[in-house]
Amino acid sequence: MKIGYYPGCSLHSTGIEYDISTRKACQVLGIELDEIKDWICCGSSPAHHCDELLSVALPVKNLSLAEKGGLKDICAPCASCYSMLKDAQLKMTDDQTRKDVEEVIAADAPGDIEVLHALDMFVDRCGYDAIAEKVVKKLDGINVACYYGCLMTRPPKVTGKTNFENPTAMEELIETLGAETVDWNLKTFCCGASFAITNLDVVLELTKKILVDAQASGANAIAVGCPLCHANLDGRQIQINQKYGTDFNIPIFYFTELMGIAFGVEPKELAVAKHITEVEDFLQERSLL
Amino acid sequence: MKIIGENEITVDASFAKEIQKHCGENVNLCYQCRKCAAGCPNRQFMDFTPTELMRYVQLGMFDEALKKNTAWFCVSCQTCTARCPQDIDIARVIDAIRMIADERRLVADAGNVRVLNRLWMIMLRFMGRMYEVGLVGTFNMVTGKPFNDMALGKKMILKGKLKFIPSIKMPFTMMKMFSRAKKIKERKKANS
Repeated sequence: MKIGYYPGCSLHSTGIEYDISTRKACQVLGIELDEIKDWICCGSSPAHHCDELLSVALPVKNLSLAEKGGLKDICAPCASCYSMLKDAQLKMTDDQTRKDVEEVIAADAPGDIEVLHALDMFVDRCGYDAIAEKVVKKLDGINVACYYGCLMTRPPKVTGKTNFENPTAMEELIETLGAETVDWNLKTFCCGASFAITNLDVVLELTKKILVDAQASGANAIAVGCPLCHANLDGRQIQINQKYGTDFNIPIFYFTELMGIAFGVEPKELAVAKHITEVEDFLQERSLL
Repeated sequence: MKIIGENEITVDASFAKEIQKHCGENVNLCYQCRKCAAGCPNRQFMDFTPTELMRYVQLGMFDEALKKNTAWFCVSCQTCTARCPQDIDIARVIDAIRMIADERRLVADAGNVRVLNRLWMIMLRFMGRMYEVGLVGTFNMVTGKPFNDMALGKKMILKGKLKFIPSIKMPFTMMKMFSRAKKIKERKKANS
């Protein structure tokens, strides 16, 4: 199975583990990822904050590059990229927007391309059974709080998800890998995203709420599917502990890393050592390292 | 609370119209159910709730909507948009409010959100891709806090999480796209 790949800027830098683990998991499952040649940034929040037209034109340019490369489906692991691409497709149904965007990219709008989040790709295209077949190391002793954040499921008009208030696809996937999942409240709460740069207090407060709820629900690890969620949950625990007098040391995994570990890929190859909140001891205790 | 007399109460519908022109959303559909306020994760940092913001737009209270921090503290998490019983894309209305404030070059209680947005778009225009190290570095310099988040930055460097060499993609195509978008915007403004 060949699927186009749009890593986005974060996966080449702060979210490098997500890129590595997604590629590894795909390799095991026989998915060939074909990176879109010369892809550009989707514009992310700043684009839709300050330029209505470019916030559609930038993602569409990427879709057009994908079409040029002969790609029919695109996997975007970053929740923000995924949302921008899907949102642009929806906005392109408006005739005036379509005309303006075609003028900006100086080309005809691309035809039908399906945009998938990495989770959709694994769940919808491979299925739980195919994933279960590849599991060689059961993830015993990990109680995972599956964290979706905002843009993997919302807004439903864009993502097409019907269970956007209580999604469960990641839980089913993680359970397939032999880990346990917990039922918790804040799985679609916001972590504060890019406010980490502009107003850190916002991120510390929101991220603290998420960590508190995950721990209170009995989780000893959190799985995420977005590089920004990971940066905040993983990178801000020390600052949260300093500010609120808490004692968090919760490993934050990309769900693809957990897939990789269960598939028998060496955690070293998955670059789990790059996490700010270290996970080596946690994995060692469960003989997964 | 500001007490105003009965005769001073007026409604200016032009704000709602302007928003609709920007993003196609009709703010007048809002019947103040407060679902957006209840679900907003960032409410505690805001001057007033998103529900109140919608009311200010309906009434044409420009200053409250554009200059106070509510619109600028929206994290675009889409909770309000997903839950609105009247199907108003509230997050998009808030985007439009931010754009109107930018167009009018208003001084607003925006934190540094505007600075980040501007730097991001400039970088994109010339490089095609986001250069995280450059973005955060420039942002810290511009906002006068060059050592902001140094501890975490150092850790990230040691872990090899930061990419120091930017990848520049199609700078000429990008610049052309940006200038064509600007032209379309100006043309539309002239026509209206």
